[in-house]
Amino acid sequence: MTRPTTAATDGIVLTGACVTLTGRPVLHNLSLHLHEQRIGIIGRNGSGKSTLMRLMAGLIAPDHGTVRVEGVDPTRARKQMLSHLGILFQNPDHQILFPTVDEELAFGLLQMGVPKSDAQAQVTAHLARHGRSQWRGVSVATLSQGQRHWLCLQAVLLMQPRTILLDEPLAGLDLPTQTRLARAFAALPQRLITITHDPASLSGCDRVIWLEGGTVAADGPPAQVLPLFEAEMQRLGGLDADADLAG
Amino acid sequence: MLTLTSPVETPLHRLRAGLKLAALALFTFALFWSVSPLWLGLALVLVIALYLMGGTTFARHGARMMRPLWPFIAVIALWHLWQDDLYGGAVVLLRMVAAVAAANLVTMTTRLSDMITVLERLARPLSPLLPPRRLALALALVIRFIPVLSERAAQLSLAYRARSGRAPGWRLFAPVALAALDDAECVAQALRARGGAG
Repeated sequence: MTRPTTAATDGIVLTGACVTLTGRPVLHNLSLHLHEQRIGIIGRNGSGKSTLMRLMAGLIAPDHGTVRVEGVDPTRARKQMLSHLGILFQNPDHQILFPTVDEELAFGLLQMGVPKSDAQAQVTAHLARHGRSQWRGVSVATLSQGQRHWLCLQAVLLMQPRTILLDEPLAGLDLPTQTRLARAFAALPQRLITITHDPASLSGCDRVIWLEGGTVAADGPPAQVLPLFEAEMQRLGGLDADADLAG
Repeated sequence: MLTLTSPVETPLHRLRAGLKLAALALFTFALFWSVSPLWLGLALVLVIALYLMGGTTFARHGARMMRPLWPFIAVIALWHLWQDDLYGGAVVLLRMVAAVAAANLVTMTTRLSDMITVLERLARPLSPLLPPRRLALALALVIRFIPVLSERAAQLSLAYRARSGRAPGWRLFAPVALAALDDAECVAQALRARGGAG
């Protein structure tokens, strides 16, 4: 699935990136070039997945090495980054910033410099296109968990980023909601980078990167990486060795 | 404040928020300036008529919103009956009911975002000290996170009672404060991910 015409600045490029959080090294010397359309990043809890996500999004800076998203430094060019990369956080309650649906949807557009009236018009049209015109002005507190996830996704999509980072996008949702969201993700034209510990959700990816202890344990097509990951997780699950403390 | 906006569309919904707030200020001023029960009674009739313009469902909702006022009405009425000052009592009660009903009416017919826009405009002279967009964002965040934090507090309270059998009371203060800080950290990150506060 690799497109042959990929330029070196296309996608996300990490070069020797290291991150240390509160004195503990979390990512070591990570070099990756992410340009495929569907990428999965898999690993156990504490393997550095979430840190990698924050690093790519420019929410934290590497201690050594560089990170480039479509050729720009994500920690510096914040405004430019808005059209390059969007993030869907795991918990919608940590992502939704505004009390009503339309304010939440319009915020990203306003941040990108869209005039207020245009942003409102885009939000109205967007809701109508998805058959949710009655959501205008509705309090986000009254939405169900699945509806909040949908709202977070739409808030990101309205900003039309080239890449969307998904942090455990289906965790904790009931099955119909999972199916609905997965279908919405599959239809997106954007590059999706999914971060998860659930191998089943990554089988349709172009590339899967297995992160272990802050470095890449395996990198390749899902048919190659996922069986290795699952075998190792089975082996670890068989051991009774969850007594080691981090740090 | 947010859930107080009525979903029933009335002609008043279409008026500009600034206009309604200015009219409310003038109306309330007039109420406090007048000492005649007749004029105050007429003012109350006017407010009731405006409620009825929105239909009976809307008016009934408006009447329900006045419920917190009843204990005060009762106390004031009893006091004036005891003092045998019916005239004074009528003035105070009519004034209070009309003022609160009018204020509720504006709240019920104005979207929160429009209220905030007015506030932003009024705060414009302060802009060198306090950028109006920051102020509006801060207000929105407060309204957004009141229900989130109260739910968080309820969860922690349940977790406490699940292992204690007693209500946590003041003991919940530190965990709720720490959880709020934790949440704030995540929200700050989400805000930064979408272009920050600027």
